[in-house]
Amino acid sequence: MKIYKQTFGDYAFTFLNGLFFILFTLLCIFPFYYLFINTISDNTLVARGLINFVPRNIHFDNYVSLLNVRDIFQAIWITTARTVLGTIAMVLASAMVGYLVTQQKMFARKFIYRFIIITMYFNAGLIPWYLNMSMLGLTNNFWGYIIPAIVQPFNIILVKTYIESIPGEMEESAFIDGAGYFVVFSRIILPLCKPILATIAVFGAVGHWNSFIDSLILMKGDPRIYTLQHKLYDYLNYSSDLGKLFNQGGTLTGEDVAAALNNRVVQLTVAMVTIVPILMVYPFMQRYFQKGLMLGAVKG
Amino acid sequence: MKEKLTMAVLRACIIATCVAAFIPALNPVQLSGLISKNASLFTNAVSYNSIGSNFVRALERGWVEQSSLSVTYIGALVAGLGIVILGAAFCLSLGNIKMQKLGVKLSFIAALVGMAGMAVLCAAYDMLTASPAPERINPAFPTGIAAFFVMFGLTLLPSIAAWVILPKPAVDAHYAIEPKYKLFLMILPFLVLITLFAYLPLWGWRVAFFDYTPGIDLTMNDWVGFKWLQFLFRNESTRAEIYQVLTNTLAMSGIGLATSWLPMMFAIFLSEMRSTKFRRRIQTLTTIPNFISWVLVYSIAFAIFSTEGFFNSMLSSMGLIEQGTNHLNSGEHIWLKMWLWGTWKGLGWSAIIYIASITSIDPQLYEAATVDGAGRFQKMWHVTVPGLMSTFFVLLLLGIANVLSNGMDQYMVFYVPANRTHIRVLDLYVYHLGLKEGDQVPLATLIGMLKTVISVTLLFVANKASKFLRGESIV
Repeated sequence: MKIYKQTFGDYAFTFLNGLFFILFTLLCIFPFYYLFINTISDNTLVARGLINFVPRNIHFDNYVSLLNVRDIFQAIWITTARTVLGTIAMVLASAMVGYLVTQQKMFARKFIYRFIIITMYFNAGLIPWYLNMSMLGLTNNFWGYIIPAIVQPFNIILVKTYIESIPGEMEESAFIDGAGYFVVFSRIILPLCKPILATIAVFGAVGHWNSFIDSLILMKGDPRIYTLQHKLYDYLNYSSDLGKLFNQGGTLTGEDVAAALNNRVVQLTVAMVTIVPILMVYPFMQRYFQKGLMLGAVKG
Repeated sequence: MKEKLTMAVLRACIIATCVAAFIPALNPVQLSGLISKNASLFTNAVSYNSIGSNFVRALERGWVEQSSLSVTYIGALVAGLGIVILGAAFCLSLGNIKMQKLGVKLSFIAALVGMAGMAVLCAAYDMLTASPAPERINPAFPTGIAAFFVMFGLTLLPSIAAWVILPKPAVDAHYAIEPKYKLFLMILPFLVLITLFAYLPLWGWRVAFFDYTPGIDLTMNDWVGFKWLQFLFRNESTRAEIYQVLTNTLAMSGIGLATSWLPMMFAIFLSEMRSTKFRRRIQTLTTIPNFISWVLVYSIAFAIFSTEGFFNSMLSSMGLIEQGTNHLNSGEHIWLKMWLWGTWKGLGWSAIIYIASITSIDPQLYEAATVDGAGRFQKMWHVTVPGLMSTFFVLLLLGIANVLSNGMDQYMVFYVPANRTHIRVLDLYVYHLGLKEGDQVPLATLIGMLKTVISVTLLFVANKASKFLRGESIV
């Protein structure tokens, strides 16, 4: 390292530059903090908009009563089920298809690969998509969340590129030992692909947890399978009776609680419950997303 | 040769029958006006609900008996079973002689099962016509029954022929299949999925050329040709609306494109910070907003900018305003606000790719620049920026190709009647037109279709441009 004398200009630059980044970062995370302190502070103060930087009269009743609202509990359950099932199915399918399209022996391999990949670049549009889903009986049906999202061309490209970078000897020797395609896939390819599969799993899970357009459009007729995001959207839009709903479901009684559990508090609490899982897995997935983004830049 | 030809005919028949099971117009279960015209045999066979859902009232009033509905569903199930066995037969027909023999046997059985299903459906039709109040449920004999009867019959013939023609397999033969077909069969389920969810919707484009009433199947009587295209251009109010929507779309995409250098600057200035720990912290924290959905962004906007929110509370505590207002209900500066939210959510994330590219710039270039006496900013401008240009260029071209698709989520969650004029982008407009407010399904389909065609063309042009300018393609 060469010794370099810092001039005044350098210090000023570093200071201003650092200041800018610190301010921008605060801008990014303050809203989350603000949301959080508003759900744990005294509800009457929250309703009047008096909690800005410091929480006051901390309590967790809002979260407790939220758990008792069956509506929300159902939405949490549906969203979790969808995220887990959808991600597992998508990851396995991507791995399988990504592996199969690397097999030179396959009948019409080139055509099949293009047939899959080209679907990234066009879509029929909203209405045909809706009509198609209703024709297949996937509207107002939980499987409508999972089945259409199984084959993801982009993830297939990622897995394929990754598999192509693995030396082929292991696979070949397994074939010589008499292993079939399934054995090679499950015993050799799957374990070797773990890093890339973790990456697409993270993105897939976040996508499933966050998606709400499909719930909004396809599941209109069956509120039992609304996702959490969709419920939150409804709460933010039609806020009139929220406090009531919250209190009916809750075990808390008494006038002051009824007055305290106002719409604003309910909306913020539901939002917090929706955000928390993302923030909780964020440190774990952080390792993977940069890798994923870089891989995305090199397409095969 | 003869065997090959027969098997090819058999496979073609099987594929045709299986495809027909997904076409609503050929649905043999369409026995009554109360069964959705939008459902295919596949739908009816996998869910009883798709048959029975409209019969609740009819059952309560006694217009129809439960038994006739059950028979209908049994018919659909049996036909569906036939289709499934046909599919299995198709897979087997790709194997060796022994496997093909089995496949042929199966396709023979499947054709019989399918025909039996059609017979059950005929019986169900009789039961429906004989029900207490047939005029209420208006039974109709679907052309699908005849069509499927013919198709199953056609499958039967080559199966019998193949059974006769195919030579007897050797006594000690095993079931085997060539690797090339084995691999094909392994990928087949996924090809079916992608056909169902990516290619089949294209068939819905036909709606753009018909008069469409939801739930009613399209017939050639409703064919209106380019009526909706003409409507788009001739109808005064639609034209004005489209004009406004296009302006919004292009304006918001345009602002995005014009500021697409921001993430690059973010990355360049961040990498000027000496401390690795600091850089990593900033990078981690500024990417968080990218991982929350637009609904959550809206809930954050709601927490901060609504009447009791942070923003109003700050202003009033500084004595700037007396009474808070809900800023989300205002229709002013929508383009700018949408851009700001988009930047808040995406800036840190978009910068990652540049941050990674910066690390791959050759350090020797910086050393050489230092030797030549370049200062900090000169190095940024003459070394870093040129090093990032190719990444920037690719992203810019992709952005241009996506100029019409700014997505729907963001604009949908921020939509309120007050900002209707300026927030509606093409995607949101199509949603409003076709699903939410109106019944303008054909018009919405047409607009979506034009959008797709234009986007694909733009992508193609961008790709050509990239090939021409940089010698490598972007897609």
